[in-house]
Amino acid sequence: MTSMMDILTVLLLFLLKSFVVEAEVITPAAGVQLPESTSRQDPPETVVIAINDEQVTVGDHVVAPVGIGNGDSLLIPALAAHLRTLQDQSRSLASRRGESAPIAGRITIQGDRDMPFQLLQRVMYTCNQSGYDDISLAVIQTS
Amino acid sequence: MAKGRKRGYRQLVEADLDIMPLMNLFVVLIPMLLLSAVFVELSVIDMNLPPADARAENPPPQSLDLSVTIDRARYVVKAQRLAPRIIERADAETADQELTTLLAGIVQQHPGTEDIAIVAQGDTPYQDVITLMDISREAGLPSISLAGDTAR
Repeated sequence: MTSMMDILTVLLLFLLKSFVVEAEVITPAAGVQLPESTSRQDPPETVVIAINDEQVTVGDHVVAPVGIGNGDSLLIPALAAHLRTLQDQSRSLASRRGESAPIAGRITIQGDRDMPFQLLQRVMYTCNQSGYDDISLAVIQTS
Repeated sequence: MAKGRKRGYRQLVEADLDIMPLMNLFVVLIPMLLLSAVFVELSVIDMNLPPADARAENPPPQSLDLSVTIDRARYVVKAQRLAPRIIERADAETADQELTTLLAGIVQQHPGTEDIAIVAQGDTPYQDVITLMDISREAGLPSISLAGDTAR
């Protein structure tokens, strides 16, 4: 009995330690298989765009369904509109708080690893046009 | 344990620690922590795009204009004053290794080169582009720009 207590105590302490240290800032979106990379930069806490087979999601909000990869224009209108709304919201929030600093415009893109490049290009272009210049691509660390 | 002693001393009772409630706590806490434990570490690749209203700058005249075009079958490395090099992608690992060596060689011969442009096809998988960015970073080209190949 006491030996089982020992096991559980050690396990508990180990998990608590790793739980506290990690404090994962962004969670991988469902349905998205992130690509692997050797990058070691920490993920920042930002707006997150998740692109999977079916749709584009900003935060929890589904913005555009499948089929946005087609067409000639680089801009995705639904996504651009939503991002601009977000920008306005954060700007008004900052002004209400009394901060006058320009909004950094940071955004993280979580894309499925088999996603076509064209879709990535359109999403990045749309983000850029909507005021989000600082784009981070979420990846899984690998050696 | 003489008869006379029993009245003088309080009887020492062996206290039995009741650990069942503690075990209950562990049984609940450990699975919860295990479920939230991180086995996959996330990181990011930062890309800095120029602001939407900036106009494209002309590259400085000395720059190499290094670019890697990626499609299903090959990598094509082009630069300003060098002959284009083609690396077949039949075997992924060797191709990546060759490309890293080639790019590192170019960086060594032209010190100060930091920029590379990755030109990808519309249907190039995202993972391939990310791998190419890793290769460029390893070869000493931290400043990467992405371009789409709209010529085809």
